[in-house]
Amino acid sequence: MPERPDARGGDSRGSTRNDTRRVLVVDDERSIRMLCRVNLRASGMDVLEADDGEAGLELARRERPDLILLDVMMPGLDGWGVARELAADKNTQDIPIIFITARADPADRRLGEQLGGVGYIVKPFDPVGIGELVDDVLTRLERGEREQLQRGISTEHEQ
Amino acid sequence: MSVHEREDRALRLQRVAELLAEAVTPQQVLDAILTEGVRAAEARAGAIGVLSDDGESVELLAQQGYAGAIMEDWARFPVSAQLPMSQVMRTGEPLFISTLTERNELFPELAQRGQEGSSIAVLPLAVEGRVFGAMALSFADEVEFGLERREMKVALARQASQALARSRLFAQEQALRERMTFLAEASELLSSSLDYNLTLRQLTQLAVPGLADWCAIDMAGENGEIVRLAVAHQDPEKVRWAYALQDRYPPKPDQPHGVPQVLRSGEVEFFPVIPDEVLEEAIGDDEELRQIVDQLGLRSTICVPLTARGRTLGALTLIAAETHPAYTEADLQLALELAHRAAVAVDNARLYGEAEKGANAAQALAYVADGVVLIDGDGIVRHWNPAAAAITGVDETHALGKPVDEVVSAWAALTSHVPLAQPGASGTRPVTVPLVLDGREVWVAVSGVDFGEGTVYALQDVTGERALEKTRSDFVATASHELRTPLAAVYGAVRTLRREDIELSEADRTTFLEMIESEALRLSHIVGQILLAGQLDADAVELSVTECNPAEIAAGVIESASVHLPEGITLRLNADGAPSIMCDENKLRQVLVNLLDNGIKYSPDGGKVGIRLERDGNGCLIEVSDEGLGIPSSEREKIFEKFYRLDPQQTKGVGGSGLGLYICRELVERMDGTLAVDSEPGVGSRFTVALPARP
Repeated sequence: MPERPDARGGDSRGSTRNDTRRVLVVDDERSIRMLCRVNLRASGMDVLEADDGEAGLELARRERPDLILLDVMMPGLDGWGVARELAADKNTQDIPIIFITARADPADRRLGEQLGGVGYIVKPFDPVGIGELVDDVLTRLERGEREQLQRGISTEHEQ
Repeated sequence: MSVHEREDRALRLQRVAELLAEAVTPQQVLDAILTEGVRAAEARAGAIGVLSDDGESVELLAQQGYAGAIMEDWARFPVSAQLPMSQVMRTGEPLFISTLTERNELFPELAQRGQEGSSIAVLPLAVEGRVFGAMALSFADEVEFGLERREMKVALARQASQALARSRLFAQEQALRERMTFLAEASELLSSSLDYNLTLRQLTQLAVPGLADWCAIDMAGENGEIVRLAVAHQDPEKVRWAYALQDRYPPKPDQPHGVPQVLRSGEVEFFPVIPDEVLEEAIGDDEELRQIVDQLGLRSTICVPLTARGRTLGALTLIAAETHPAYTEADLQLALELAHRAAVAVDNARLYGEAEKGANAAQALAYVADGVVLIDGDGIVRHWNPAAAAITGVDETHALGKPVDEVVSAWAALTSHVPLAQPGASGTRPVTVPLVLDGREVWVAVSGVDFGEGTVYALQDVTGERALEKTRSDFVATASHELRTPLAAVYGAVRTLRREDIELSEADRTTFLEMIESEALRLSHIVGQILLAGQLDADAVELSVTECNPAEIAAGVIESASVHLPEGITLRLNADGAPSIMCDENKLRQVLVNLLDNGIKYSPDGGKVGIRLERDGNGCLIEVSDEGLGIPSSEREKIFEKFYRLDPQQTKGVGGSGLGLYICRELVERMDGTLAVDSEPGVGSRFTVALPARP
């Protein structure tokens, strides 16, 4: 069951840049969700959670978060599938996605890039810096650097 | 003058006229004038000169009766010179000089150069009022040129003029006809075959000896080298010798004259008379070469470029040596025409060859399993073979001539990671890239070569290989993947607990500590399985066989599982009639724990999970069943392979080490048992362990 968003997130479409950042975490691992939640909240962000792809998709459509932290290997609809569905829907295609995954293969990174990801975090990762990372990505997106972020997914990590 | 003398003169003139009428070629005319004509004029010697083509010089054609090397000494002299023939050609008036003194006064150069003589008569050769030459007559003694004598000489000159003009015209016409015939033959030859090596070789043979003593064709090689295609001479022995000579003295590309110069500049090189300095330059200090050149007797040469579409493909060389007269402007025109036709033929043959090669290549590419795509400098698709169409799902007709980004929208993403090799360089390693096409995902190994005017990409569909590779994932990669998630939890929890900038609630702290504990256990379990799989691989697992009761072991396993049982799962045990057997108790327990865990894990929506035991002869059957997701029949054997994982779509992504069933089967088989599976997707699965009474 997806956890309820923070009370203040009631009006789902009212998100503007002055509002508190609202981040959706989609991961079937409870521990990963919790790590993200605690650390994102520490950075002053609101956190929505979903424990599988379907729930994540539904929540993303309904709540239109500012950003999604998306696991790849999940029961049912996996992270790639979620990203594809979001990209196919014009109401959700602009929601930036950062993949969080145990898949460290360069080919997976390229798939992440092709599916429109703006970030790619390989497990294990330091959750303490995650709020700052999300903030940085959102700031760069506001500056119109989406393409650079996308390309960075596969280029920054290649030897 | 006596009547007899007069009649005699008339007779002689008539005899000359008859001879001239019979003469056809210029040489015959000259012979007639200089023998009978000179005799008729009662002269000692005679010579005939004509105006050169450019009108600047007098060229001595023939002489009769003069001493010394007059033909060499006076071969060619300016029309403007103060000399008798020059003056006559300038004025068109006959010149009669009776004494040597008078001659030397008028023409000091003759005296200076020691030209012997006495009386001379020089008469213009003209037709239709245009002077084209002069006839000189020299007499043995001093002659008084009376009116009749003068008239007789003028009449002789008129006859000679007519005959010579007519014969020259005839010769010109004949030469023109010969040239036309030659050009026609050459054209037919050039169009007879696309093998221009052959046709050009035949062309040089056609050119000798009519057009040249030597005829050669050299081609410009791709790397600036000069390739002699053909040399022709009437004497095959000389041709062999010429090739040998070429080997010994290969042309230097920077040579100031000859073929290298023509290939470099694309300009004609024409020497009506080869200047000594040109020969000297070619010879240098090589005495042997000097002898060879002297022996050749090179006289005159034309070297014209074979030019097509602005490119100099080669050069045609004509050389007049032992037999052929020096070349004239007309010969040059013929050579240019010939070179033009030859160049067009070569160019056509090459174009055809390239087109054919292109067609052959396209045909070959049509059957190549790899996709081959050619993108020009503007990003337009220029080639798209059937394999490329199969991989991308876009037909050739929908791809050719279009911007590649329109043909495949993900093209930029597909190729941006592909390092481009330079032509000829050893190819770069293909990069495997996913290509997201509408509705499907293809893994493509891409390599590319940048050839300046565009890029050729080779695409290989490795979706199958990649799937295979996935199932056979190497130990380290897969193991590390399995370890990443629990590691992330442990590391993340520790990092978060150690944050000093936030105050964690007591509940969160407890959760994090529990997380560390359980994930560390999970890590340990996975590491244990990896180690065990490694030992099984190395055949390093030892069995400790004792008499044991499978029903008791099963009960213990059920009991352990019931402690952390997920919601909706009910455990069942049916152990009636199970016999005691000889086996390794710990290993059997490990197998049952694994199978029961799987049953629970793959029943996300709950249901009954149970173990049932029964006697099987002296042995024992143990069934572990669930009402969970089930396993498609195509996967039922693969699940026992090491690191094989069901597609997350089919298993709803249930995680694990990928080693459990591999380990189970390996252990059961080591106890001489079997492990089989029976399943129906959506209904459930049943794993059956059959163990003998003793291993």
